[in-house]
Amino acid sequence: MSHIINFRSVSEMPDVAMSLGTTRYNKTGSWRYLRPLYRNRTSPCFAACPAGEDIAQHLRWVKEGQYERALTRILEENPFPGVCGRVCPHPCEAECNRAELGGAVAIHHVERFLADLPIARCLPVVRPIDPDAPAAAVIGSGPAGLSCAYQLARLGRPVTVFEALNEPGGMMRVGIPPYRLPRAVLDAEIESIAALGVPIRTNKRLGDTLSWDELKPFKALFLAFGQHVSKKLDIPGEELAGVVAGLDFLRQVNLGKKVKVGRSVAVIGGGNTAMDAARSALRLGAQKVTILYRRSRNEMPAIAEEIEETQAEGIHFQYLSAPVHVLGDAGHVTGLRCVQMTLGDPDERGRRKPIPVSGSDFTVPADMVITALGQDADLSPVAGSVDIRSGLLAINETGLTSCPTVFAGGDCATGFGTVAWAVGSGKRGALAIDKYLRGEALEGFPPLREHGSGGSTVLAAPREVDPAVVTFQDINQAYFESEPRAVQRQKPVGRRVKSMRSEVNLGLSEADVRCEAERCFSCGTCNGCDNCWVYCPDVAISRLNHEDYVIDYDFCKGCGLCAEECPREAIAIEEELKWKK
Amino acid sequence: MEKVMMGNHAISYGVQLARVQVIAAYPITPQTQVVEILSEFCADGRLDAKFIKVESEHSVMAAVVGASMAGVRAFTASSSHGLALMHEVLHWASGGRLPIVMAEINRTLGPGWNVWTEQTDSLAQRDTGWMQFYCETNQEALDSVLMGYKIAEKVRLPVMLVLDAFVLSHTEEPVNVPDQAAVDAFLPPYEPRYRLQPGAPGVPGEPHSFFGLVGPEHWMELRFKMQQAMEEAVDVSRQVGAEFGRTFGRPYDLLESYRMDGAELALFTAGSITGTSREVVDELREQGLSIGLVKLRMFRPFPYAAVRQALAGVKKVAVIDRNMSYGCGGIFASELRSALYGSTSQPVVFPFIIGLGGRDVTPQSIRDIVTHLRQHDRPESETIWMEVKR
Repeated sequence: MSHIINFRSVSEMPDVAMSLGTTRYNKTGSWRYLRPLYRNRTSPCFAACPAGEDIAQHLRWVKEGQYERALTRILEENPFPGVCGRVCPHPCEAECNRAELGGAVAIHHVERFLADLPIARCLPVVRPIDPDAPAAAVIGSGPAGLSCAYQLARLGRPVTVFEALNEPGGMMRVGIPPYRLPRAVLDAEIESIAALGVPIRTNKRLGDTLSWDELKPFKALFLAFGQHVSKKLDIPGEELAGVVAGLDFLRQVNLGKKVKVGRSVAVIGGGNTAMDAARSALRLGAQKVTILYRRSRNEMPAIAEEIEETQAEGIHFQYLSAPVHVLGDAGHVTGLRCVQMTLGDPDERGRRKPIPVSGSDFTVPADMVITALGQDADLSPVAGSVDIRSGLLAINETGLTSCPTVFAGGDCATGFGTVAWAVGSGKRGALAIDKYLRGEALEGFPPLREHGSGGSTVLAAPREVDPAVVTFQDINQAYFESEPRAVQRQKPVGRRVKSMRSEVNLGLSEADVRCEAERCFSCGTCNGCDNCWVYCPDVAISRLNHEDYVIDYDFCKGCGLCAEECPREAIAIEEELKWKK
Repeated sequence: MEKVMMGNHAISYGVQLARVQVIAAYPITPQTQVVEILSEFCADGRLDAKFIKVESEHSVMAAVVGASMAGVRAFTASSSHGLALMHEVLHWASGGRLPIVMAEINRTLGPGWNVWTEQTDSLAQRDTGWMQFYCETNQEALDSVLMGYKIAEKVRLPVMLVLDAFVLSHTEEPVNVPDQAAVDAFLPPYEPRYRLQPGAPGVPGEPHSFFGLVGPEHWMELRFKMQQAMEEAVDVSRQVGAEFGRTFGRPYDLLESYRMDGAELALFTAGSITGTSREVVDELREQGLSIGLVKLRMFRPFPYAAVRQALAGVKKVAVIDRNMSYGCGGIFASELRSALYGSTSQPVVFPFIIGLGGRDVTPQSIRDIVTHLRQHDRPESETIWMEVKR
């Protein structure tokens, strides 16, 4: 409370206008009509990550040198940072606001660096597995199935994984060649999940070596058996010897089977399977490898970096070419009859449609043809048990199928075809199953969306964020300069094409990783930069622990300087009236 | 140690010797060299001070006020438009009773951009509550920094040291740079009476405020205390100048009377025009003319008694104003008339305006002023403009 002092003479007075007692009684916060609030907003990378990684947050820990903490934050969302740091098409980087000032932050390189740290992998469990709790079964040990099993185990739920093949990993093992994803990296990440007490039972194919009866003790089921059937060419001559399906070819190669490749190999398709098949064929001794694609480079669905690496290795690209006939002699393929295409109007996905040019036939000689036109799921084991829609298992936004105890995710239900999406849908399945087994309603699950359509994800450990995504214009550009993105090292072409096991990409050095983390704007995510604390003219902001701040609303006058000077839009301003009510 | 240096650097060396702790500055010709070399001193460790770059002179003074409030010895330098932009915060420095020292290089105010010397910029700040000292030589500039802090910290008012642009600021002269140990003995570390820090001397341990609201019931008393401090500063300045003389062999006073013994005519000057005037006085004295010179060092507080005493018995005094208060007259002339009013045997004051916008004031200019003085019993107008192309 205030009181009036009346000095009787100048000799009693101080020389300057100053308070003689404490000023704490004067709660100047009562003057405030605007209230600053620490409220993280959604960074574009986080919004774009199909696996729901809290990227700005873990980059902050990298910037501060807290690598294990950063890795743990990733592992809470995704048990496969070593895999995703190598093979993810990183939609996060496509949305990165840093692109405007020197290029997107090399997020996937940082993830790889953390995953490759020479430290024992310790997955962050929420609670130990309760063996008496209702158990779940996961069919398929690909990224969706293992992500689901991992999150269930994290939540303390007993879970068993069944795998049709004799090794776990799904497409990560049989689809992605080891020169892109070393087996030691994959094995270690799978092993760390198994080490939580998750049995992975191999050689258990549903409807064959795994019966429905065996699944009876499980109270919920997660189907994630992927898409492992190559689409057919549907042209004459497809049955000739020397014509192989891309996925079959890669599966054989990746499981270490002896595979004989031709001298001259033609690969049909423009996706990642086509690139992997072509590059594998080259490494297995093919003299000439040609990729035939019916559209142009712009429409190619493969990851851009992989296309570049494939071209660098001397693989020939023949665009706007569609095979119409497989030519053969004595039952063996000798070449492809192709027709030249031209591009018409865009289709419903925005890709321009190829149109044949009449009379443009030409022949491509080849003694081996690999088809990579996309893949389908083999749904025969579940036909009649759950609904099927457009060749995929029909699921709702929680991952639930038409059967109330059966959930599904990954490629067999989404067809998205990428590890990170599978990880995200597996996590969603786990959260839904956990709720279901608790008898709770399945609510609050936004639908999974394909990349490019404003992707939305589910976090295993959600934090409170404003759903509005931070744009480049929201960033306080006075605090940032253009700085170039780090470029990773690669093995020289001459050395890398000699072996399937010679990893092509070598990642970033620790120094470059730190630079990349420094380059992160940390959009909408407080990273403890102290700017608000420095700028507050009322000394109303305190640091709790150099990580978090607290505003003393008794003395905050609501000037808004903290929000204005926050470089990353992590402080919101709201009308005080809203809070007074 | 003798060094040949320009006036700007004489100030910088003074600041270094005074062990200033915070310098905030914004560049402006002709001042920039003062803080340029100081920034080098800060960078290479010759001066252990925080150098703050800010976005304007208004912020410069705010930063220096903040530093001084925090209890450290603070310095800045400015000129002309920069000083004008500081105007508001100059009041906060004096009203806050902060012993800041600022070097002010006299430069003409626009429009008609002009970087050359004129005293109007500093004199326009005469009512801000800052003490003002005008320097004649580079040596006096360096010495005045050391005396300036001593006086300022004693009476707790800020000090403005004024130098002519180029004539002093950029002109090299031999300067004696005193020994650091002697300076340390003369000017001990600053002991603030109040400090912006809970629990510091004179300040309670709880949060408290400075410069808050003061109503009419106490305002006059605070300003009365400021005026008391100004009055105290007259004696303090005299004592500090004398002590400086005992320590370093160069005594200073509030003003200097040169060849005033029995003088009937006098020149009244401030700044570098004094040097030129000395030469002319010597020359005229040799010709038998009874003339002397009064150099005003301290303009605020105005040394009324000393001025009256110095001019007692003089018949005519020529005030040489390189400044103008438009619609009134030369500012030193107005102040001098006011000081002499009512004293016995008042001399007639001749208000000369000369050298505006940096036009050279030569020995011939001074001779012409003396000729005018001799030819007239009284000034024929409120201002006498010299060397104007009519």
